[in-house]
Amino acid sequence: MAPKVEKVFNLTREMLDPSFADLVAPDREKLLTCIQCGTCTASCQTAYAMDYTPRQLWRLIQLGLKNEVLSSNSYWLCTACYACTLRCLRGIACTETMSTLKRMSVAAGMEKLSSSARFYEAFKESVFRHGRMHEVELMTIFFGKTRSIKLMDFSRLGFTLWRKGKVSLDASHTDIKGLDQIKAIYRKVEELEAKA
Amino acid sequence: MKYSYMPGCSLLSTAKGYDISARSVVKALGSELAELEDWSCCGANAIESVSYLLSVSLPARNLALAEAVGSELVTSCSSCFLNLFKVNHRLKREPELKGKLDEILGAAGLHYSGNTRVRHLLDVIANDIGVEAVAERVEKKLSGLKVVPYYGCQTVRPYGEYDGPYLPTSMDKLIEAVGAETFPYLWKTRCCGGVLMTTETEIGVKLVSELLAAAQGADCIVTVCPMCQMNLDAYQGKISNKLGIKINMPVLFLTQLLGLAFGLPSELLLLG
Repeated sequence: MAPKVEKVFNLTREMLDPSFADLVAPDREKLLTCIQCGTCTASCQTAYAMDYTPRQLWRLIQLGLKNEVLSSNSYWLCTACYACTLRCLRGIACTETMSTLKRMSVAAGMEKLSSSARFYEAFKESVFRHGRMHEVELMTIFFGKTRSIKLMDFSRLGFTLWRKGKVSLDASHTDIKGLDQIKAIYRKVEELEAKA
Repeated sequence: MKYSYMPGCSLLSTAKGYDISARSVVKALGSELAELEDWSCCGANAIESVSYLLSVSLPARNLALAEAVGSELVTSCSSCFLNLFKVNHRLKREPELKGKLDEILGAAGLHYSGNTRVRHLLDVIANDIGVEAVAERVEKKLSGLKVVPYYGCQTVRPYGEYDGPYLPTSMDKLIEAVGAETFPYLWKTRCCGGVLMTTETEIGVKLVSELLAAAQGADCIVTVCPMCQMNLDAYQGKISNKLGIKINMPVLFLTQLLGLAFGLPSELLLLG
């Protein structure tokens, strides 16, 4: 099999943001020690579908190529399986770095590009409303946000599960008594994040 | 022993059989899972992708509730386990996090000091109750049954707190304790794709196809995670079409398998 051709782009000084690694990594010093061994990519089950493999992504972060990194699909395909984190010879928090990129993307308003991001936002909304996740409502909010034709597939699965008594259309069983506490937690987190 | 128990959101719906069988099996083994009063969502993988502080605070609410009761917190969901476990890990790693968490939980009238020990149900059954006690409780040996022990990703990764994070064996030993055989399966800790089955279906289907194809020859797959069970079970029709082979692989929760061997009544296992 021919080796995969890596993406070529014209590097200009304006593209470099040296503070990027500070923002991304929970442990910047470790991330800077990445020696490009590729154990992360070899461990990653979704790397084949990524614009940049995990190994390439760390290098782009080291260089400060913020836009290249954030506009890629790579981190949204991370399933948080922690195989790379477990195996990284340098002890880099690879999975957490992927999560940080997801949050940066959402904060930059780029999450509209990703189906997973819309799912996560729908999840956040559902938990805010009930304190627990309600699967049918979550899928309804999610497909409302995406308007995907996959809705048909999932309706079929939902119907099967409903027939078996495994899901309920009524969300009341997911309402916790301490829902006010959940709402207070959300509000305080938003307040602290607005300050940061 | 009596544990505080947080089943997690999936166990209220798609994984009901896991919840009922977990409580029944632990009871049959002489311990008790006492449901943590008014527990709430741990945030799954979703919340960490949108807010770091919320991803710490949501599971911390449950840790605070368990701390007030004063017992270890057991969960049967691998995602709940990791999220709860990470709170304690992060409080130790990031000194400045404690003050923020105090402020956030304080706004909800709660406080967490960091003392709740977090346990996976698999850890409790394999290590507290123990393989020998499980073997002694067997009424119907599951002789000849070839079982894939599928751990998935977050059951043992990244911390490997109670079992080897590369090739765990705790579930293998329990399967053998009830007289069944473990099917040789090198992919026991590969990821099922989690939420990608919903958001990037082609990728999810590929990952699960590989897992199911490698399990051909076994009689069933056993798991301890509601997400893994759902992904491996619910898309077999679609995957049969893709692979061109008929896949009809039962995917059970470990506690359902143990319950079968213990001779527990079917309404306590919700099988079929």
